[in-house]
Amino acid sequence: MGIGKIIIKRAVNAIILVFIVMTINFFLFRLVPGNPVLMIISPDMTMEARQTLFIKYGLDKPLHIQYINYIREVFKGNLGISFVYNRPVFDLVFERVPATILLLLSSYIITVILSVALGLVAAWKRGSKFDISLIVSGLSLHSMPTFWMGGLLLMYFSVNLGLFPITGLSTPWLVHENVYSYIKDIAYHLFLPMMALGIGNIGGMFFITRNSLLDIFSEDYITTAKSLGLKDKTILFHNVLRNAMLPLTTIILIRLGFIIGGAVTTEMVFTWPGVGLLIYWSVLAQDYPVLQGAFLIITITAVFANFIAEIVYGYLDPRIRYE
Amino acid sequence: MVLLDVQNLRTYFNTRAGKVKAVDDVSFQLEKGDALGLAGESGCGKTTTALTIMRLLPFNAEVLSGRVLLNDVDLITIDDKGLREEIRMKQMSMVFQGAMNALNPVFRVGEQIKQGILIHEDITKEAAWERVRELFDLVGINPDRAREYPHEFSGGMKQRVIIAMALSCNPNLVIADEPVTALDVIVQAQILELIRNLRENLGLSMIMITHDLSVIADTCNKTAIMYAGKIVEMADSIAIFKQPEHPYTQGLIANFPSIIGEKKKFIPIFGSPPNLISPPNGCRFHPRCPYVKEVCRKEEPEVVEVERGHFVACHLMK
Amino acid sequence: MQKNKIKGYARSIRKFWEQYKESKLGIIGLFTLLFFILVSTFPEVLAPYPVGVLQGDRKNLLQPPSSKYLLGTDELGRDILSILIHGGRISLLIGLFATLIIAFIGTFIGVSAGYFGGKTEELLMRLTDVFLVIPGLPLMIVMASLLGANFFNMILVIGITGWTGTARVLRAQVLSLKEMPFIESTRAIGASDARIIVWHILPNVLPLIVAQAVLRIGGSILSAATLSFLGLGDSTKISWGMTLSYAFGIGSIFNDYYWYIIPPGVCITLIVLSFTFIGYALDGIVNPRIRER
Repeated sequence: MGIGKIIIKRAVNAIILVFIVMTINFFLFRLVPGNPVLMIISPDMTMEARQTLFIKYGLDKPLHIQYINYIREVFKGNLGISFVYNRPVFDLVFERVPATILLLLSSYIITVILSVALGLVAAWKRGSKFDISLIVSGLSLHSMPTFWMGGLLLMYFSVNLGLFPITGLSTPWLVHENVYSYIKDIAYHLFLPMMALGIGNIGGMFFITRNSLLDIFSEDYITTAKSLGLKDKTILFHNVLRNAMLPLTTIILIRLGFIIGGAVTTEMVFTWPGVGLLIYWSVLAQDYPVLQGAFLIITITAVFANFIAEIVYGYLDPRIRYE
Repeated sequence: MVLLDVQNLRTYFNTRAGKVKAVDDVSFQLEKGDALGLAGESGCGKTTTALTIMRLLPFNAEVLSGRVLLNDVDLITIDDKGLREEIRMKQMSMVFQGAMNALNPVFRVGEQIKQGILIHEDITKEAAWERVRELFDLVGINPDRAREYPHEFSGGMKQRVIIAMALSCNPNLVIADEPVTALDVIVQAQILELIRNLRENLGLSMIMITHDLSVIADTCNKTAIMYAGKIVEMADSIAIFKQPEHPYTQGLIANFPSIIGEKKKFIPIFGSPPNLISPPNGCRFHPRCPYVKEVCRKEEPEVVEVERGHFVACHLMK
Repeated sequence: MQKNKIKGYARSIRKFWEQYKESKLGIIGLFTLLFFILVSTFPEVLAPYPVGVLQGDRKNLLQPPSSKYLLGTDELGRDILSILIHGGRISLLIGLFATLIIAFIGTFIGVSAGYFGGKTEELLMRLTDVFLVIPGLPLMIVMASLLGANFFNMILVIGITGWTGTARVLRAQVLSLKEMPFIESTRAIGASDARIIVWHILPNVLPLIVAQAVLRIGGSILSAATLSFLGLGDSTKISWGMTLSYAFGIGSIFNDYYWYIIPPGVCITLIVLSFTFIGYALDGIVNPRIRER
């Protein structure tokens, strides 16, 4: 079956990518101008502490040995110790992963729903005032810095109107009677950052959707469908959507990897306790172990997301499936 | 009796470069049982005429004037519902170029035909599928292949599928747009023979659009020659081939190579097809006409019936 | 001979302008861009007040807009309008230079991969895949924080992370160009690869490179603004992103210093928008689908 071969090929690809990414990660952090030692050893430590760590982390050994050690440690789950928190980087990052995933996925759902729906309407009513206003809005949204839009939303809806909480994931001092109220609290806090990130990411996807649909509308088989006497609505929802499913799913899956970056600024503006915020703080504090560890984890996640996307695409394309 | 009456049809396209006058005052009649060949070079307006009759024009096209009477119903003004439910497939259908993208790649071919049948016939899904199988038989495809996808068919087979689709609701009129152009000669011959047989057995009226005169010679008893959005000559096919009157037709026929008979040199029609956004004044063919006169540059020629049933639009005919 | 060539170019430029004029968005974008370029070229002349860190009006910190200070003042008492006038230059310069790097790398990799094929193509495409998969902004953040935050590093970092789209598009174009008969015949005459690439391939992909560049400038400016906002920009130069970072930093959101937080964002949006509109208009010309009137 074609699909089995695809999975294996893509999996091998993904594993190679992960190794490349780890290698890049290793060498990238050697770029620190000055002593690569600064990566592991905080300038605040005493001379003795520095010496101990120096030997402990094998920084006196040749580069390729360090590299092998690094890979081995990563596989053991050891990403170093944070300067600032004095805790394992791995723990720090993984504590925050759920919050980021929640934000990313929920905002992406918003992005997809809005982009596809609006793209569909714009393509269907091509050339109308509605289409043109959607295009201009889309272009403007695409040109706006996401963090700024988030800040404006926060300023208007939270501070001025008091509709939503200002920071964080949940109200810290609130005692919850049951899971349901806890979820409500989180949702209440999630709404604004989700909308900010969700709407901010619409830009590109709206246009790609609209263009894909316009391409499909101009295909010969749509003319055939019309000649059969099908209603316009039927053609749209039955035929066109089926044809659009493949390119749309591809677009949706592939762009999933691109939104990870946007999380950093949004988390920072809304003080959302995710990996993005952690990265921001680690940059400010020059907490290099955390920066390196967090970066590695989100990059590997991106490789994984890409891998899933390719598998799903391979499954959906009838030409590949029926080989 | 007249099945289709096209009167003064004008279809223009709105483009960035200007208004393209693709079909400019086209009129003709089709008798029941006739097969009319609509011939001309690329861009002369023959496909646009067909699409206008079928109301399948793209969004930037505009029908400025004219009537298309199918059994006294004006297809241009009929409401959408009437067009879809009464006219399409049941009275008139179109055979597209099957080798191209006329079949939707994500649906099984039988499904696509079944869709059309179910809109017009009040029968069960199973009965509709049975009819699909019968149609496949009729056009010479193994009925079991109805469950396959378009990419599993060759060009010629796809064309048969399209023909089956066009016949699925027993129309009176079939418009075929370059049905054999993209096929190789042997498959071409097979498809043309199929079309001929079907026409005879089912008593179909047909409009065949093509740039290939030999296809018309093979299938049509009447021929209309189009140039730059207008019909320049229309007559029985035999008359067109034996006695072409319009200089353009003469140019086309003269270059028709024959296997038998003496060798001839090609005499190309010099010049190139006109710009349809700003076509030449007077007779549109005048820049390329070897017999051009002063009047040809100024006035558009009127249609003259030089013999019974033989119409020519040329100043020389007076 | 030369004169004819120049006449030919002049004619095609005029034809291009005829088409470009049709796009309302394109014209708006062009004029907006010209406005910003103009303002950014002579900020000292146009700005009503000085913008040095020590030159603020101590008596008027964080004042809302008034007749004296049209857009209010910041936490150092400086006139925000003046700051904005100075801030455009950095955005334009970074956008320009970063995009030059993107165009250069993207063209080099895309054309090489497309033209040479085989192992070269595979290697280069894998390289592209790596850069595609790694999330852009985090990579920029990491590199900027490691290399140090200054003007040149920002350009470098944005350039190195942004070329993948261009490379892909160019490779596709070269692949289809390669098949064309005129390339085959040129090779048959015995032209070397270098000659073919420089004299035949590059001139044909030039419009695409330009279109890509225009598309990417907007993104580069946004990336630069984001990096400045996160504190990874050049602190010695005034930029809109940096202004926003100060605005956020002193709690404009919570204290409703709307005059501090809204205008810089509007400026960034407008300048990126101008490039976006221009790109949209260009796309309409380079990619002619059946466009409505």
